[in-house]
Amino acid sequence: MKHHIAAGLAIAAAALPGVASADWTRGYVVEWNEPAMYYGAKDGVIDPGTDCPGGTNPEVDWIKVMTTAGYTEEEAKWLRNPANPTRSPVHGQNQMAFRGKDRANVYVNPTSTPDPGLTAVTGTIGEGIDLDGSKKTGFTSPAGEKGIDNNFYKTVGCWKTYRGPRRLSSGALQFNDSMRNGGWTTVIVVAGKGNDPMNDKEVTVGFFVSDDKMVKDGNGSIARDYTFNVKPHARYEAVFPAKVENGVITSTKAVDGVLREPAYWRDLELLRAQIKLEMKQDGSLIGYVGGYRPWEDVYRGWVGARGPVIESLTWVQLPGVYYALRRNADFSPTGPKGEKTHISYALRVDAIPAFVMTPDATAQVASVQSYKSLAAAEPGRSMAAIPSIRVVDGIVIDPKSKYQAGPTADVFASRVAAAASN
Amino acid sequence: MRTGRRAIAVTGGRALLTKIAARGRMIAVVCAGLVGAAGLNAAPAAEKNSAGAATKVALRRITESQYRHTIADVFGPGIKVEARFEPERREDGLLALGSAVLSLTSSGFEQYFALAGSIADQALSRKDRESFVGCAPHDPSKADDACARGFIAKYGESLFRRPLTESELQSRLKAAALGANQSGDFYGGLELALASLLVAPDFLFRVEMAEPDPANAGQYRLDAYTKASRLSFLIWDSTPDAELLAAARSGALHSQEELDSQIRRLIASPKFEAGARAFFADMLQLDGFGNLVKDPTIYPKFNQSIAEESREQMLLRAVNLLVHRKGDYRDLFTSKDTFISRPLASVYNVPFASKQSWATYTFPEDSERSGILTDIGFLALNAHPGSSSPTRRGIKVLEVFMCQATPQPPANVDFSKVQDSKQGTVRGRLLDHMENEGCSGCHRRTDPLGLALEHFDGLGQLRTIENGMPIDVTADLKEVKLEGAQGVGEYLRNEPRVPACLVRNVYQYGVGQKTVGRDRPYLAAQTEAFAASGYRFPDLVASVASSAEFFKVVTPKKASPAPIVASTASPSPPIAE
Repeated sequence: MKHHIAAGLAIAAAALPGVASADWTRGYVVEWNEPAMYYGAKDGVIDPGTDCPGGTNPEVDWIKVMTTAGYTEEEAKWLRNPANPTRSPVHGQNQMAFRGKDRANVYVNPTSTPDPGLTAVTGTIGEGIDLDGSKKTGFTSPAGEKGIDNNFYKTVGCWKTYRGPRRLSSGALQFNDSMRNGGWTTVIVVAGKGNDPMNDKEVTVGFFVSDDKMVKDGNGSIARDYTFNVKPHARYEAVFPAKVENGVITSTKAVDGVLREPAYWRDLELLRAQIKLEMKQDGSLIGYVGGYRPWEDVYRGWVGARGPVIESLTWVQLPGVYYALRRNADFSPTGPKGEKTHISYALRVDAIPAFVMTPDATAQVASVQSYKSLAAAEPGRSMAAIPSIRVVDGIVIDPKSKYQAGPTADVFASRVAAAASN
Repeated sequence: MRTGRRAIAVTGGRALLTKIAARGRMIAVVCAGLVGAAGLNAAPAAEKNSAGAATKVALRRITESQYRHTIADVFGPGIKVEARFEPERREDGLLALGSAVLSLTSSGFEQYFALAGSIADQALSRKDRESFVGCAPHDPSKADDACARGFIAKYGESLFRRPLTESELQSRLKAAALGANQSGDFYGGLELALASLLVAPDFLFRVEMAEPDPANAGQYRLDAYTKASRLSFLIWDSTPDAELLAAARSGALHSQEELDSQIRRLIASPKFEAGARAFFADMLQLDGFGNLVKDPTIYPKFNQSIAEESREQMLLRAVNLLVHRKGDYRDLFTSKDTFISRPLASVYNVPFASKQSWATYTFPEDSERSGILTDIGFLALNAHPGSSSPTRRGIKVLEVFMCQATPQPPANVDFSKVQDSKQGTVRGRLLDHMENEGCSGCHRRTDPLGLALEHFDGLGQLRTIENGMPIDVTADLKEVKLEGAQGVGEYLRNEPRVPACLVRNVYQYGVGQKTVGRDRPYLAAQTEAFAASGYRFPDLVASVASSAEFFKVVTPKKASPAPIVASTASPSPPIAE
């Protein structure tokens, strides 16, 4: 779009070497993103369906878990009793961490307990991208495309946090609410060299972050056509070579990149990442970003979100999540024989039209290139902080708490004695 | 309140009771003043004050923006003015004319009363209150008339826009002494006195006074303080400053030379921008944004930010062109230079190239947007919640920029055809509507200008199609054919009634009186001078403010006796059973 800014325009791209303007560009802001989880039930959010015939992961019998871990039934009941000091709205139940061998903390040492299991997806339909080029591995897309690689979905797709229809799973709602209320902003720029944006063999798609918050419209949706300035970021950036056919953008080459993840663990580090995005008639852009991600980060994210709280509220045993991710990991950066440190993954992306500006806000981004050279030094990798609490090894450290959990904590006996003496 | 808190801390409940009692006396003082003012409203033209010379000729309730500007100028910009003000009233296109017929409701007075307490509390809680007060009391726990007198006289003059009379001063001194002695706090007493000034009718209303004109026996002229107020409220939208009050006090303001000098000074001040903003907010009828609603299913981009910033955009455009750049008023209708914010840019569907809240923006030459009529503020304000309205837009173009009023529609009009916004274009629907002979007369006059703006929907977003049909933006006025918004802008730029209307508005806004037939020669001469200045707004303001007509005395008509109605005291006839 032609425009004239009286405040004096400067082209920020001039600061970057060898950048040529594209013949067309389109800007978007991501208004919703969530792990691509195909929901096989006809309605509800946790009902049995073709994906999970038994429904979501069932609620855990924690008395049984703790007695299996070596606690007496009385101790287990004491620990689970909300009236007792071992339970707190803040830390949930820290002692639950110490149920590994020799009462090891299972959150930081998940293999100290046997695999408790995690209900996995058994359906054949899945969403995402064919990452390995093989039609023989993976799911079949809802549209019938074979070879969709998304073992992350296979692993956690029946976990109630992730399961549900499009835009309705509890996890997606939680993190997208945060994003839409100003937590972070991801912008996309699509730039092509051809004459027809709907059919162009040479396209580049960039994912960047912006410090400008999204704005809600009169209906509570994210408003279209707002302006966002790219914030150069040392980590959150991905640039995809691609092509467009009938409005569908697909990668022409897999790349490595990092996106801001809608999850407790913020970094979605993708190896061999690809995109499949469609430019819709209404101006929106929807589709997937896929790739192989380090599976341990996912586990670490949930542990850091307070293991006992996550386990109690979302009906999983985190060691079970650890074992399942490890079991289903399907990619090694060092080659086919290397350790499978990564798991195939797809992020479902819904974006709406926006004006994406250069970092100095003087002009619309006219081509897609990396802005990392303009970024400040990379900050340390981080969990999304939970305000006002300190989480260490998956449990909340509260020095004022009447009860301090640990492998040698006196769970029950002395308390009974103390109660008797009173 | 600060004093209240302190009293409780020091002496407990007894002190609070005495404080409340003192406040009750303050209310009595204030109410006594109000009674006087109420009497003033109905006073005959010949009523004279105790000196037997001056005559009250007009009362105008100060507007919200005048109140805010005055408080900021008198007490500093840090004072928070948090209140809901009484609604204002528009008469003949201007709130300034409505202010001359407004009274004060009891609930409105409650608001002013609470606000007065808050402002007095803030003003006297400041760290530098001794320098603010101008003296230190001999004993901070007791009354000090000498110190209080200087404070009350100084701030009373700023707020009343004239020196306080001795009786006005004495009543506040009494309140201050009472409050100080009962609460054990000199500043608490001052707070009561200050609050009483802030709720006095002489502050809340501009009381315009006339005095015998020494140069024309038997004639009256506005007194110098009234002249000072007219000048400062026209140019600054605020109370006269010390220099202007000094010119009034010495009588120098009656001389043309001093008057012109003061006008030059006032217009050169940064506060002229506030004055211009207040004038254009009134003339452009921007108070309508307070009630602006849009159907979110039709215009999802509309929200409170859009409403507030569209209003601000219109003011920025006007003030930048006419005050900062001293530009040609007629360019207001054709200039492609404007200001946008990030939310507004989304409605204009253009990028916002700035990290500031506002940025200058120039629409491309081939854009349909040019001039204030294509600002989304004007377009959205003069439309329906769910659709555009060529009629409303046409009416407002005529009313706001050409001073031509349009009568209300007849009560029995069938609007069903024109309101069915799901069928065809609005042009077609209006043509159907105009088959009604009772409607066609006005619509032929109002609609063409609005129809030429139909490429903008009810929120002001650009469109070329309505219900699948291309929108025709040609329009036929009596003598000219127009096309599109640019055509309307060009038409207004070249229409002589447009600058004449601005002249009339500036004059009416300043004097608070509607012009009449005998004002025509004066207005024509001012319009000629305005044209000669290159249609420069500051020159127009200066020219009007320095003219003798700006200060002419119009004595109010004698109040008509109230009609006698049948007594309701007699018992009603019994209801038949």
